[in-house]
Formats: sequence, C-alpha cells, structure tokens
Amino acid sequence: MEHEFKIQDKTYKLKIESKGNSYKIELDGKRYDIDAELISSNSISFLMDGQALTAHLAERDGKFLVNINGESFCIEKPEEKKRKNFAGEHTHVGEKNFVSTPMPGKIVKISVKVGDEVRKNQTLVIVEAMKMENEIKSPIPAKVKKINFKEGDLVDTGQPIVELEPKE
Amino acid sequence: MFNKILIANRGEIAVRVIKACKELGIPTVAIFSTVDRNSLHVQMADEAVLVGPPAPLESYLNIDSIISIAKKLKADAIHPGYGFLAENPAFTERCEKEGIVFIGSDSKSLALVGDKIQSRETMQRAGIPIIPGMKGSSKDINEFKKEAKQIGYPVILKASGGGGGKGMRKVRSEDELESSISAGMREARSAFGDDSVYLEKYIEHPRHIEFQVLADKFGNAVHLFERECSIQRRHQKIVEETPSVALDDSLRKKMGETAVKAIMAANYSNAGTVEFLLDEDKNFYFLEVNARIQVEHPITELVVGVDLVKAQIRLAAGEKMFLKQDQLKQRGHAIECRIYAEDPENNFLPCSGKILFMKEPTGPGIRHDCGIYTGFEVSVYYDPILSKLVVWAEDRPTAARRMLTALSDLTVLGIKTTTGFLKDVVSHSDFLEGKTTTDFIPRNFTDWKEKEDNKKYLNQALIAAAIMSQNKFVSKGQAVEQESYSPWQALGKWEIGMRN
Repeated sequence: MEHEFKIQDKTYKLKIESKGNSYKIELDGKRYDIDAELISSNSISFLMDGQALTAHLAERDGKFLVNINGESFCIEKPEEKKRKNFAGEHTHVGEKNFVSTPMPGKIVKISVKVGDEVRKNQTLVIVEAMKMENEIKSPIPAKVKKINFKEGDLVDTGQPIVELEPKE
Repeated sequence: MFNKILIANRGEIAVRVIKACKELGIPTVAIFSTVDRNSLHVQMADEAVLVGPPAPLESYLNIDSIISIAKKLKADAIHPGYGFLAENPAFTERCEKEGIVFIGSDSKSLALVGDKIQSRETMQRAGIPIIPGMKGSSKDINEFKKEAKQIGYPVILKASGGGGGKGMRKVRSEDELESSISAGMREARSAFGDDSVYLEKYIEHPRHIEFQVLADKFGNAVHLFERECSIQRRHQKIVEETPSVALDDSLRKKMGETAVKAIMAANYSNAGTVEFLLDEDKNFYFLEVNARIQVEHPITELVVGVDLVKAQIRLAAGEKMFLKQDQLKQRGHAIECRIYAEDPENNFLPCSGKILFMKEPTGPGIRHDCGIYTGFEVSVYYDPILSKLVVWAEDRPTAARRMLTALSDLTVLGIKTTTGFLKDVVSHSDFLEGKTTTDFIPRNFTDWKEKEDNKKYLNQALIAAAIMSQNKFVSKGQAVEQESYSPWQALGKWEIGMRN
C-alpha cells in the first residue's frame, strides 16, 4: 500500500507492507524493517534499526497529529483531505460551501442576508479576534443560503458562519 | 475554620484550590458555565452548580449569581482564584455585606492597590522607591509633553486601571507621544472601561522581580522571597523562576523588607505579591501589588515549602500569622512554564478544540498543575492557559534540564500548545546563563518558528502515521472493532516469563 503525506509544504511518499506486527517500509528510497505494536488506540511502540520508540498519534480532519519524544508533527493526508482553500487565506470553504473564521473570535458585522447574491471576494462577515478585525470573504460567486450566527456571537475556528449555494 | 468554600473560578486554579480545601477537610462548591460542564474542577468539587452561559459577564463574573449560589448552598467563604473577580473591590464589598468571607484582602485595600496612581502615591509616602513618572492622569496633551520632557525619553504609557500589558506603549520621542496616547486611551477604555493613562520613565533591560508576601488581619506579615518573571511575551509572563540569579543575600533582604513595608502601607492582608523592576545597576522600583494568589505561586511553594493556598484560607479564617520570617529559607531552585493553548506558528493566537490525547510528565521534582484531560474541549471563551509545568531541583542548571525533559514528556494532541516554544526558551544560552531581562523574548525569539523538517524524529513520525493508516485499513478489512482494543492482543508473541 502506498501513502502520500504532507508536512507543511513538503510531500513524502511511503510504501508499506505488513504481516502481523512486521512492517516493511520504503521512505525516500530507503527501506526499513519495523516491528510495531499498538499499545493503546493512541500509541504505537516500534522497533526501528534496533531502537525502540513510542509514538503518540491522534487523527482529525484528515491529519495525523504525532508526538515522538516531545517532538510534534502535523502530517496531512492529501488523498483524504477533501476540504480545499479556494480563496484567500482568511477564508475556509469546505465541500459544504460555507465560510468560517481561521481563528476564534466575535462576529462584529454580518454584511449579507439570506438570499443575497454575492460576488467572489465580497466581504460577508467581519470577525474580531484579539482586537483585530478579519474580513471573511466569499470564495466563489454564490447565493447566501443560510446564516448561522448573529452579530455579537462568538465563533470558533471552522464553524460554518455563512452557508453558500455556488452559482454556476 | 470554614464550613464550605465556593471557588469562583475555573481551570487549573480552581483545581488547585479544591485540592487545598480537600487537604484541610473543607467541602467545596464549584461553579461552571454551560461550556465548562465537563471541566476538571466540576468533576473534583463536592458540589458543582451551573452559574450561567459561557460569556464571563454572565457566569464567572456574575456577582449576583455567585453570591446567591453561595448562600443557597451555605458556603461561608469564597476563593476567587486569579483573574475574574479576584481583584474586584465591588465583589469583595458585596461578600462583606452578605457575611461571606472573601479569601483575599478587604475591599478597601483592594481598591487602593488596584488603582495604579493611588498606590504609587501611597508607596511614595511610605518611602518605597517608585519609577519616576507622572503624579496622576491627565487629558491634556501639553501636560503629557511637559512631564515626558521632565522624566526624559524613552517613557512608557500605562493604563491607570489596568494590567496585563493592555494600554501599555513605549514612547521614544515627542513626535510619537500624541498618537501613542490616543491609542493607549482607546485600548484602556475597551479593556478596563476607563481611559485614564499616565507616563513613567522607561527602564532599559530591566528584570521583573516580585516578592510573595503573606499577611494576617492583625498587622503581621512575612515575605516568602522573590520570583523572577522576566521572560514575558506581550507583557505576559510565560516562564518564572526562584531564586533570581540577579539578587544576592543583602539585596534580597532589602527588597523583601520593602515588600513587607508596601503591604503594610496598603493595610493589605492575606496573600499578595509586590512587583518590582530591577534595573541594570540593581536599583529596584515598586511596580504594583498583585492582590491575589498568582499563577506562578507554585515555584515559591516548592522552594520555601509553604502551601500558599492553604495559608490564604487559614489567614482569611482569622488565624494569626503562623510563619516566622527568620525561619523561612529558600531551598534549591524552581522553574515554571505556562502551557497555553496557542498556535506558535500563527502569531500565538489562542486556539480551541478537543484534546484527543494527553500524557502528563511525571518524575522526581515535577509538578503539573493542570485543568485539562484527554477528551476535554478547550473553548474560546476564556484565558487560553491549560496548565503549568513546574520543576524543582537542587540547583538552577539541573532545574533547567529537568524542565526541558518534562516539557518533552508532556504530550498534548489535538490542540496547538506553546510547549515547543518553551523548550527553545529554557534551552537558550541566554536563559542558561541567567541573562533574563524583560526583552528576552523580543531579543531572541522574534519570528520564532518551529521547523518541521529539522526535527530529529521526522522519518519515525511519518512511519508511525503510515503504520496507523495501514492498521486502520487492515482492521476495516477484517471488520475488527478498533475501539475496544486490548493491549493483551498486542502481546501476542510474548509469553509470560519468556523472552524471544
């Protein structure tokens, strides 16, 4: 089985074969013979080059969060990552077509109402976080389908604030 | 002693206070907002009551609700922790009126030390050195200009009613003054509801040294030596230690006596901290009195051997001072690192989310004051402090190494924390050499970034992720329930008593 992983902007390809607790892994043209055991649903103990290591892992949103000996890694699995960033860095749009805030904060202004037709990059919402105002823009030309918050509400990262219906 | 104590706080400090109450045999009442229902302090207290919606004003700052819960459950004392209502004279006054003991000083002394200008005047009258600066606030720009010229640039602008760095601004010259004042006033108004600001001399490369004081209600006070809290980011302390490498015995004695004098001048009782700035020539200046148990109190507890929270409760209950100054000694060295839910890669913005996995460090000389657990949801509504990692060792170099190991052993998955950043701080050569001044972070860690690909265990992390994926794939194929995984299954190829 082959895996493609991404850390920050770098891509890594791994080939893996397993039989019981034995794994043969190819990474960057190097082969590793590994003996691995799951010691809990979040921890793997593995023997690699004669060295025993314990990795703690958790999975969320198509990402592996890994910690080994105090070093943390966020490993993305691009093949499973369906959410895409269409527009600027201040906007997240998922497959459900909504906008959310990149950081938790308070909604200070909602500039659209349900049924409005919006242009690409039109400001939909302004979120204040840490005394900074962030304009949340529409990533696509769309019709406003649903607004889940009102002005003054607190929003968390990733929560759908305005749901959009894409215009073809 | 009290019959029951209500803890008007949340997170790690609420947990800390509950533990002290348990040891004293006093039942506890926790309060929680709707988002904190599953918090650790709720689980630990004898009784826990919903206080209101998440917004602090409607929950942990809601004086009416808190008082009515205390009365209904017959709590005869309230511990405020730090933050929230800890330094709010109105709350203290209300407790006094309702016949509930506020574990802290009285409303009058709280009002005095809470006002920076008033407390400066009081301290100056008591002969305590203060930083040269304005006598009071003003709305007149010309007065600011005149004062600044007299004090000499650079000066620092501060909010009269404030703390935590809000409204603070360094002003290098007269042409920066006017814009700094209007920005500082705006910030002060939005943070504290009061736009009074004043000017002080800006001291270059100072250290932040504070003294822990305990005072009873009868005018007896002792100090429990210093804490150095010079490592700050945006005027917020992030690493604290005791003793400070900058003090020798005679300076320590002098500053300690001054701290006790300051507490007496304010008629303050219970636990309080007197903050000083120490300049490069070892002159010290009074900054302010922190009228509460402080975040960094554990380092003093480890080095001096006094439980400060229990001392607070005993003193509030009316006990006479039970410590003698000449019997208090510092032993060894302690360091604290504050673990925040912040993203070091995104300008240290607070983050929220569910903690998917957590492993706490343990071992000789390690203490972890913690308000979170695996499965806990960190919300956006409150201060992003998750826990405090504290170490004690026989000397400073050992304590620094112990902290580095403890930070490496602390694993939190699912939410970004400042652990990686703190590891670089406590292993930095300036830190190890004791060159800790308040500009330590801007000097050494501007644009700090954790480099993913320079990490030692990169390949291993990728391999672990691949193994986990493979395992899930195999499990799915065989329809194995991954949830109910038993470690005994993993021990398949071992037999008891045999090695292979």
